[in-house]
Amino acid sequence: MPDKRNALVNTALLGLLVLATIISLATGTVQVSLFDTLRALAGNADPITDFVINELRLSRVIAGLLSGAALAMAGCLMQTLARNRLATPGIIGIDNAATAFAVASVVGVGLSLAPSAMALAGAAAATAIAFGLAGANGTRGYRFIVAGIGIGAIAGAVTQVMLSRVAIDAANAAYPWTVGSLNARSGQSVLVLGMGLAAGYLVLMSLSRALNTLQFTDAVAIALGTRLKATRIIGLGLSVMLTGLAVSVCGPVGLIALLAPELARALCRPGKVPLTAAALAGASFMLIADLLGRTLFAPLEIPVGIITAIVGSPYLLWILLRPSPRSLT
Amino acid sequence: MLNALSPTSVVASRAFFPPLLAAGFLLLLVVLASLLYGAGPVSASDAIAALMANGTEEAWFVVTELRLPRTIIALVTGLALGLAGALLQSMTRNPLAEPGLLGVSAGSGFAVALAILLGATTATLTTLVAQLGALAGCALVIAATRVQGLGNDPVRLVLAGATLTGLLLALTSMLMLIDQRAADEIRFWITGSVAGKPLSILWATLPSITLALVLMATVARPLAAMALGEKAAVGLGHHPGRIRFLITLTVALLVGSATALAGPLIFVGLVVPFIARAFSGPDIRKTLWLCVPVGPAVVLGADVVSRLIAAPAEMPLGVVTALIGAPVLLAIVRAGRMPSL
Amino acid sequence: MTCRTHPPKQTLLRSIAVLALSAMGVGASLADTRSVETAYGPVTVNGQPERVVTLYEGALDTTLAVDANPVGAVITRGGSDVADYIKSRAGDIAIVGAPAETNIEAVISVRPDLILAAPRTNEQQYQLLSRIAPVIVSDVPMFQSDSWERETRLFAKALGREEAAEQVIAQVESRIAEVAALVEARIPEAQRDATLVRWMPQGPLVMAEGLFSASILQAVGFRIDDNDLVKEGRPHSEPLSLENLSSMDQSWVFLATLNADGDKALEAARQSPAFARLDAVEHDRVITVSGQLWTSATGPLAVLAILDDIEAAVTAIQP
Repeated sequence: MPDKRNALVNTALLGLLVLATIISLATGTVQVSLFDTLRALAGNADPITDFVINELRLSRVIAGLLSGAALAMAGCLMQTLARNRLATPGIIGIDNAATAFAVASVVGVGLSLAPSAMALAGAAAATAIAFGLAGANGTRGYRFIVAGIGIGAIAGAVTQVMLSRVAIDAANAAYPWTVGSLNARSGQSVLVLGMGLAAGYLVLMSLSRALNTLQFTDAVAIALGTRLKATRIIGLGLSVMLTGLAVSVCGPVGLIALLAPELARALCRPGKVPLTAAALAGASFMLIADLLGRTLFAPLEIPVGIITAIVGSPYLLWILLRPSPRSLT
Repeated sequence: MLNALSPTSVVASRAFFPPLLAAGFLLLLVVLASLLYGAGPVSASDAIAALMANGTEEAWFVVTELRLPRTIIALVTGLALGLAGALLQSMTRNPLAEPGLLGVSAGSGFAVALAILLGATTATLTTLVAQLGALAGCALVIAATRVQGLGNDPVRLVLAGATLTGLLLALTSMLMLIDQRAADEIRFWITGSVAGKPLSILWATLPSITLALVLMATVARPLAAMALGEKAAVGLGHHPGRIRFLITLTVALLVGSATALAGPLIFVGLVVPFIARAFSGPDIRKTLWLCVPVGPAVVLGADVVSRLIAAPAEMPLGVVTALIGAPVLLAIVRAGRMPSL
Repeated sequence: MTCRTHPPKQTLLRSIAVLALSAMGVGASLADTRSVETAYGPVTVNGQPERVVTLYEGALDTTLAVDANPVGAVITRGGSDVADYIKSRAGDIAIVGAPAETNIEAVISVRPDLILAAPRTNEQQYQLLSRIAPVIVSDVPMFQSDSWERETRLFAKALGREEAAEQVIAQVESRIAEVAALVEARIPEAQRDATLVRWMPQGPLVMAEGLFSASILQAVGFRIDDNDLVKEGRPHSEPLSLENLSSMDQSWVFLATLNADGDKALEAARQSPAFARLDAVEHDRVITVSGQLWTSATGPLAVLAILDDIEAAVTAIQP
């Protein structure tokens, strides 16, 4: 039966996520055996191991988990709304705008809000501007995308100017924000992200039927009883919120929003929007990418944004160059 | 062959000459401004005196050895990028197709960054590498248009291109992480600038640009015919596949040369054809003619601005073109004028 | 044996001995535990730490200068290992990260008992590191002429080797006087203006006059003036326009290179006609120096290395 397949896929992905989590926790410059890792999680290990696992690594793993899931869900949403498997929030400049705002806060330009709040503000601002310029067609038309690209470019240029004009220490502190890294996270941002993710997930689950109908043409969707405009607005709003919060934790790791939903769509039964699968896949990808970044050139760390880009590019090119029967529309 | 380009051979339109002349005049003004203004102590009057062979030795040096070379390089860059943009947009029938947005510039940039990392320093090698990178980027973009469903929807193509650009930028970041020493050099190069470039790099790119211009002259008429649809074009005796190949090659040569000269500059290939089309209408040949003065004017104008707003330092040209180009793009979107191709 | 009480004199001597020993013992343990003023308040350090991790080039320099054998260090900015000038002395030291990104696990794995961190280490990082070992974050203001000396004293105090530090500082100061005398003898007053730059094709980056190496140049008699081109707190300016080279047209130009190959950098700079017109170029007063040492390092050993460079440059000129 078709629904069993999705449940199976979700379980498998969950298993993958748990595995990735444990391996991430067990891996690092300090050698900790698997057994000791589990003991530390249970609160039963010596102080050093406890510190390494529960303070250093756990917080990083949780941040990676949550941001990966959020980015993947945002991407999945965006692709459903735009009916295009290549649509990501990053395309309409949200990533860049959130980064620019976060960098501004880190280097001390403008308002002195926390970087995470600023990132969210940036994402919201970009979307609002894009929307405002998009005119009648809203998210479906040309203009939204074009406006988004323009905004992304301006934000990118502004970020560059800011970085080049402030003191070198501030610029160095802001660097992780620009490439996507789990190093610069703050506990508060992670907490807010967690709450946002939970809330978003609940809302989306309740919307899932409506989202599934979006795969058809507008006329069919309306005929099936979907309130198109409301669904689109909520979907877009959630996508923006999730992306903004995720960027405030890990910076612009855009490819997760592209790769995770792709995997989810490849595995799951076609016809349903695989939000849960995408979230699980996204979380796993993030952890695996961070793991690679930490271990490949130890003790130097490669930011997770760069790893995802490098690992993801062959796959992206494959998508671009091979027509797939599963393409949306 | 040249007849295909001659403005008089198209449907007679009195409205065409005035814009062409105006653009040419504007170009002359910008060139003059470029020679007269800069970030340093040599003011406009000093420069004029120098040009009249009446000025100080320093003024003469600044005008002829600093401002003049960069003026010429900026002009050539603008010409190449403007034409490349117009060709790409006509071929893909997508007013948003821009070499910078579609990843062609980023491909060029990545290739050059790689070359810098591996120790390349000569101008010829950099030019060659830039062109190969542009060619690879172009090929990917064109291949993407053939993917089912992608070629028909302009937005999809742009999405694909934007993703590709993001990727290449991340890969370039990775290169900078690997070798911190090359990183500084790459970082400065990749923001795009015409400052401090010797005229020798121009000679290195001249063969490619000449070849590209020749190719362009050959395909201009068939391209105009293709605007009527492929079947019509075939009926008129053209080979669309071959035309597309030639145009791809031309765009790659142009973008590669421009990137080798000034680093990756975005939005130029979008803004210039847009302005040109506003006056020339959908005929690609007229558009190309108008791009000839408009392209250099835009890039050189941006360069002059870059010298003036951050003295005694200079704002990188790449930042200025982004800051100028993006709002123009937004204004276009706002005004609702998306001219069809 | 008959029981005899000790004669009063022996008792007195014994008591005095015991008192003296205990006083010394107390005094010694008091000296062993000291409080060091850091950017995050006073930090208590015991004894002479044996396993020191340095997260700052100046700290590594000082630690090696007072013979306190560090066990972990960060790579130099822009390189892949510790700076060249100090590499042989550092030996087989463990790398625990880059200046901006410390790998905290790597720090843990070398089991330090003292961590010397960089100025402006942020609070979050500081809290994490403090869980491992006492952390000293220098509160000495940067880019001032006596910054390196004060930092050396601060780190030496934390290391419990203040005497050694004073000796090193004295040695450095006498060397400075030596080179200053050389400069005075060989270079006329009017030709002692200098500038420190890094050359990029678009234009030079002028180094701040408060930069460590610039302050050494000034200490030996050169005059450095960055013409207010460098903003507060920045180590160098934006790339100057090539039209503005008059700001760097001093008698001496110290050209900092990114890698060890000074000749290549000079060649690249010579390509630019604006560069060729500089006074210093015409009089062959352009000295290529290692960027790692001159723009990134700090500390007593660095001073000595820079002084060697200066001495070599000054002795090489035709009088």
